[in-house]
Amino acid sequence: MDFLQPVLDGFGVVLAPNNLLYCLLGVLIGMLIGVLPGLGPAATIAILLPLTYGIEPVTAIIMLAGIFYGAQYGGTITSVLLRLPGEASSVVTVFDGYMLAKKGKAGTALGIAAIGSFIGGTIGIIGLTFLAPVVAGFALDFGPPEYAALALLGILLVATISNGSKTKALIAAAFGLLLATVGRDVFTGAERFTFGNLDLADGIDFVPVAMGLFGLGEILYNLEERHRAAKAPAKVANVWPSRADLKQSSGAIGRGSVLGFFLGILPGGGATISSLAAYAMEKKRAKDPSRFGKGAVEGVAGPETANNAAATSSFIPLLTLGIPANATMALMFGALLIQGVTPGPQLVDQHPDLFWGVVNSMYIGNILLLIMSIPLVGIFVKILRVRAAILAPITALITMLGAYTINNSMFDVVLVVVFGIIGYLMKKFGFEPGPLVLAFVLGSLLEANLRRSLLVLNGDLGGFFGRPISATLLVLFVVVAVWPMIQSLLARRKAAAAVDTFKTKENA
Amino acid sequence: MKAFPVRRAIVGLASASAILALTACGGNVGSGSSGTEESYPTKPINVTVGAAAGGSTDLIARAIAEGASEDLGVAMPVVNKPGANGALAAKEVQGKPADGYELATLNASLITITPLAVGESEAVSIDDFEVITGLSQDDYVMVANPEAGVKTVEDLTKKDGLSFGTTGVGTGSQLAQALLLKQADIKGTEVPFDSGAPAVTAVLGNQVQVATVQLGEAKAQIDAGKLVPIVVFSTERNEFLPDVPTATEEGYDVPVSQYRAMVAPKGTPEEVKTRLKTAFENTFKTEAYQQFNEQNLLTPKEISGEEVVTEWTELAEKYKELTEEYGISLKES
Repeated sequence: MDFLQPVLDGFGVVLAPNNLLYCLLGVLIGMLIGVLPGLGPAATIAILLPLTYGIEPVTAIIMLAGIFYGAQYGGTITSVLLRLPGEASSVVTVFDGYMLAKKGKAGTALGIAAIGSFIGGTIGIIGLTFLAPVVAGFALDFGPPEYAALALLGILLVATISNGSKTKALIAAAFGLLLATVGRDVFTGAERFTFGNLDLADGIDFVPVAMGLFGLGEILYNLEERHRAAKAPAKVANVWPSRADLKQSSGAIGRGSVLGFFLGILPGGGATISSLAAYAMEKKRAKDPSRFGKGAVEGVAGPETANNAAATSSFIPLLTLGIPANATMALMFGALLIQGVTPGPQLVDQHPDLFWGVVNSMYIGNILLLIMSIPLVGIFVKILRVRAAILAPITALITMLGAYTINNSMFDVVLVVVFGIIGYLMKKFGFEPGPLVLAFVLGSLLEANLRRSLLVLNGDLGGFFGRPISATLLVLFVVVAVWPMIQSLLARRKAAAAVDTFKTKENA
Repeated sequence: MKAFPVRRAIVGLASASAILALTACGGNVGSGSSGTEESYPTKPINVTVGAAAGGSTDLIARAIAEGASEDLGVAMPVVNKPGANGALAAKEVQGKPADGYELATLNASLITITPLAVGESEAVSIDDFEVITGLSQDDYVMVANPEAGVKTVEDLTKKDGLSFGTTGVGTGSQLAQALLLKQADIKGTEVPFDSGAPAVTAVLGNQVQVATVQLGEAKAQIDAGKLVPIVVFSTERNEFLPDVPTATEEGYDVPVSQYRAMVAPKGTPEEVKTRLKTAFENTFKTEAYQQFNEQNLLTPKEISGEEVVTEWTELAEKYKELTEEYGISLKES
């Protein structure tokens, strides 16, 4: 039982009172910001990053992870009660969740969401427990060519899968790639875009960029957005769903868990996309799709389960390969680096306490969330009444202070302000900061590993296809790149065909 | 959000009180020349480190600061200011008042090797500092994947087409490896990584067959038999790897190690330097500090400030000559 020993030791780590406390703190903050629309987990983690500096690495990551999956629970509450999604990943929950609340079944919706979240999260963790060591086992086969191929695929997926305009996502990603080139060339020592400034010699630091784009940018944007007065939330009664409701949603929960788990692993995937996919899948599968949007329990259960499963499984590529799958994971990447831990293949071996401590904390965190989510609903809804005029300056101040403390550098504070303004403008003009941040992180991975590969392969690009893993990844890349074109071509044909049949019918 | 970390809070508090103290007695720092030094130190002493928290330079600075602060009776908060191989921190400390309240832990490579790889603006000269004491020596070791079938430098000369990982541009790893390859006429491709850990991972996965890294980064894998140590680049054998020959023994002129020293801004009064030196010397004697060195595979090199200046200056010249002699440019690996 060699495999189980570190897993069990990991439980020892989590059950240390200190870690339990931070786990609780993390999920509480997570739920809280989940309830607050606008302030997402990425923003919160970005703002809190510097504070984790003085805590033990395990404890810090346990708390930050708690914020991430805790937010998935919290986002549901406002979706159901106020028709106001607290999180992007709970947007689809609004459709059926709010209708259920209007029918007086708010309790049922929240109960089902909590149970689904718990099951999805737990299945995600079990998958993570067993899959991560397997992936880590392959990790040594991951050389520069594989990393280059994976980074390439990741950037493409980020730009194409993201919600919203694809063109804008591509532009944001390109800007991210450009930013990644700033700093001294790792191979030749040549200065690139540093303008003789020593602060830029090592390139732009990821953390102030993220804190600016997600933290300050969001705050500025929300100041403008949140004038609307809080609506009176629907009454919550009868939290425990009936047997019939449970039975009706059990399939959706099962499917959501599996779908969310796999979408979470994909680069560019994550909670939001999997909740959208799960909703679409449930609607497609339903015998009577017209029920959706009018208060179908599956419409709450599927997405809410999937977003939690995805939140958990997106830790797999980060903790095993050191590749962040989405923007929030990019922040976790930054958090680990601040702690002096380089996420990568060696993590499981060299820091088993950290790896298993964090993974196992999720079991505990999910149980805590399940217990808390129902009784605390009333309190969380009240928080919505805190005025943005009070909340925003406080968060902005914490962000600035935090930015300074990481490197004791005023330059970083300036960076936060600059990227805060960029982030605000991006949001205002409909650009998501996610692709930018992710392309920024993956860009340096891509460049360094591409050049490293070419050195190892003696400049032979064909060598990428001589290695099974990098070849597979590149084939996937081509498929993903070409697929939308094929799809639109097919759609056009179908549309043409439909028009034809329509015409023939008319003629008949 | 009550998660205020203790260490941070202390650092913040300490620097806040430092500022207070500075403004409060700003007048007598210059004027009371005979009276004030006796009571040095009267307030916390900052130790700036030009590397991120958790790296070996940071750990060393923290270990020495902990011991010395006990001896001096004031707090010695370590301030991390990473960037540009440590040049950022070094330049900042240069500009601080030379009153003994602003120290730095300096890497020799910043003085001896980095100037070979980067532009003028980043070059830092040891003459701009008062060196209080040398600290320790951190050795580089060349390791190979067992499947590569190389155990000695001689084996390497017979192989063709091997890849050699380094820990980055302007590092001792790059310099030592380039010099050895050139002197022994070994043919191979040099592949720079960002730091030691990814280079070690790449060797373990046989992505590159050989790499030169700091001992601490490879020791566990060497002990486990997953990496084969080929040669160390210190002039004398490393006490933690007694069976591995040095490059010097093998007949190559590659004396490359990482050294670290405590420095203060130029012009720091003699009395202050003496007091600090005593504090550091007392720290060297403590068991806790000696254990720290042992655990981190560091060889004590507790030489005087003058010796540090001489040695580092000589090394800088030596490396410059060697790279010129063998036509090595660290800028284009």
